[in-house]
Amino acid sequence: MNALSLRGVRKVYRRSHLGRVTETVGLDALDVEVRRGEVFGLLGLNGSGKTTTIKLVMGLHLPTDGAVEVLGRPVPDVEVLARIGYTPESAYLNRALTGRENLRLFAALSRVPARGRETRVAEMLERVGLSRAMDKRLSEYSKGMLQRASLAQALIHDPELVILDEPVTGLDPLAIKEVRTLILWLKERGKTVLFSSHDISEVERVCDRIGILSAGRLAKTMTQDEWRGRPDALEDAFAASVARTDGVGEIKL
Amino acid sequence: MGAILAVFDYTLREHVRRRAWLSTALFGLVLIAGGLVTSVLAADQRARMMLDLGLAAIEAIGLVTAVFLTVGLVLSEIESRAVFLILTHPVPRWQYLFGRWLGTLAAVALGMAGMALLHLALLAALGWSAGGYGLAWSCSLGSVAMMSALSLLLSLALTSEAAAMAFAGFFWLLGHFTAEMSFVADRSGSPFLRGLILVFARAAPDFARLDYRDALHGGAAGGAWAAWAAVYALAYCAACLALAVQLFEQKEF
Amino acid sequence: MRTTAPLAAFVLAAGIALAAGGRLASLSPRLPPLSDLPDTPYIGQDAALAAAGFRAAAADVAWIQLLEYAAGGLPRWPNPPGRPYAHAEALSRRVVRLDPYFHGAYLYGAGLLGWFGAEKHPDQAVALLQEGLRRDPGQRLYSLYIVALAYQKKGDVSREIAILESALDDPRTPTLMKEILANLFKSRREYAKALALWRAILDDPAQASQHSRARGQIREITALERAAASPAGRRQ
Repeated sequence: MNALSLRGVRKVYRRSHLGRVTETVGLDALDVEVRRGEVFGLLGLNGSGKTTTIKLVMGLHLPTDGAVEVLGRPVPDVEVLARIGYTPESAYLNRALTGRENLRLFAALSRVPARGRETRVAEMLERVGLSRAMDKRLSEYSKGMLQRASLAQALIHDPELVILDEPVTGLDPLAIKEVRTLILWLKERGKTVLFSSHDISEVERVCDRIGILSAGRLAKTMTQDEWRGRPDALEDAFAASVARTDGVGEIKL
Repeated sequence: MGAILAVFDYTLREHVRRRAWLSTALFGLVLIAGGLVTSVLAADQRARMMLDLGLAAIEAIGLVTAVFLTVGLVLSEIESRAVFLILTHPVPRWQYLFGRWLGTLAAVALGMAGMALLHLALLAALGWSAGGYGLAWSCSLGSVAMMSALSLLLSLALTSEAAAMAFAGFFWLLGHFTAEMSFVADRSGSPFLRGLILVFARAAPDFARLDYRDALHGGAAGGAWAAWAAVYALAYCAACLALAVQLFEQKEF
Repeated sequence: MRTTAPLAAFVLAAGIALAAGGRLASLSPRLPPLSDLPDTPYIGQDAALAAAGFRAAAADVAWIQLLEYAAGGLPRWPNPPGRPYAHAEALSRRVVRLDPYFHGAYLYGAGLLGWFGAEKHPDQAVALLQEGLRRDPGQRLYSLYIVALAYQKKGDVSREIAILESALDDPRTPTLMKEILANLFKSRREYAKALALWRAILDDPAQASQHSRARGQIREITALERAAASPAGRRQ
């Protein structure tokens, strides 16, 4: 049973400036399936379509073509969002509110019952290590603290599917280790985890399967068996699959 | 309903924290103090002048604050990407928009209520005891609500705070000439021009009709007038918000 | 597009707004159009304030300018030589056409035109009061002043004073009319009545701007009263 499936998904961005319309293909004929209970890593260079894929899943973008299904329901579907937890690449939280108020807000939005909501908020803040800073405004938080608050809002309603967009980018090694532990903890509890990254070493340590995206297409999928115990197997596969699309050439030595 | 309340709550907190009310209250104090000084010159009409100038100041400050707050209400969250996180929770977009608008209106209404209390205390000290204040204040709040709904719509249609503010000012001005515009339209020879003028006359909020401040001394308003004024203001806000939702539903983030 | 529900809601709400707006228009009080404002140098100021939705406030500003004019003239609109209150009618009409419910302005304007200064204009005063009566027929003071002005035209000062005196119990009687009446009493050597009026003005904290004038008048009338009570005065 799939937690998530994208079939033949195409996403074209149309920009119009002074009557001139330009089209950019974000995703092209993308087919991805994520099974329930697995940790799936979306691997790709900048601009390969990782974030676009996640935004389509979350209903923030609409596909130009193809079908997206999440937890058995076609998206966009507001109802299915109650079963998903999402952490974007940066903590887009309201800086005027405190950590506790932010979490209270997302608990209410995620339909955590009013009765017991406060306890759940306190527990979650404790879990992500923010219990001492919970009544400080987010404008006073460090980047690491913001990332933790962002993780807390994704998990506050105990979702079935957790989507983490670049969760380790910009974090210190200790925080990276904590995120890794968290992903494994989620897996143990039977959650499905989809996360995107361009950090191959992180992906290979926690994922059951990976999909390598290149220029908006799924270039390759691999299972853990294909890289476990084989140093450089994932890196080699990645280098062989991707093509730069960001207009940057190789470093020549 | 829970989502609307949650969005309403954080919007109100946000405005209160950002001290939107403080500038309003201070400005109100300065204007009312100015009114006091001016009213010394007014001989027998001291209470009347205090009443007029105070109510006019409350409405003007309310309008300016509401327009400033609403043009950036959603655009700022799109820019800071805070809207990403909200909309990846099970929140229908109309509920988000409505909660944001309602929270902002509540913040402005609180500021206006504070000024009104101060104003009423001053009027009581001057021996003013005639009725109609509540209705005049409510009509001002109705105008503020209509302008804020219109500003929200304009901000989503134009996607620029500055342009939305300029157009809001234009419609605000038109709103005092709706009767004159209908008169000009009736005398226009060209059906196209007539239609165009009538469209603007109907699209602009009819402040001239909703204005009870200027008719307060005549004691002209009856229950039927007040009821129709309420229906008009609510329906106008609903129409603006419905169009704003239509635009917002089509946005991709 | 995800749904057409918002468009349907818009159509419904816009329909209700149009219907309610039409009904509201038929129930709203009709204010005089700005084209009815008399030709004064302040027309731009009035139109700008009214267009911004602050018509009562515009009338208040016009009211202060009328008081300023009565107290010594407006630098921006000087009187023609030899005609000290030439603009009194235009400035009074300006106030009441901005706010036709400004009762104090009808009464003050009528007092200024009908009784104030050397050059009196009772017909203009009556016309102003009649404009007020058309707007608000229940205003008793307008009718009283019209009758008083009619007696003034006939030269029947006793009846004119009696009518004005009967209006004193109305709290809306402008201070200007009290002063005019006090001056009429003074000219008829009814010093006690004149003094009572000036003392009432002096006791009213709302009339602070008139207190200095009231003190002066009380001193002057008291002296006149003493002189009248002296044997020489009694002989006169």
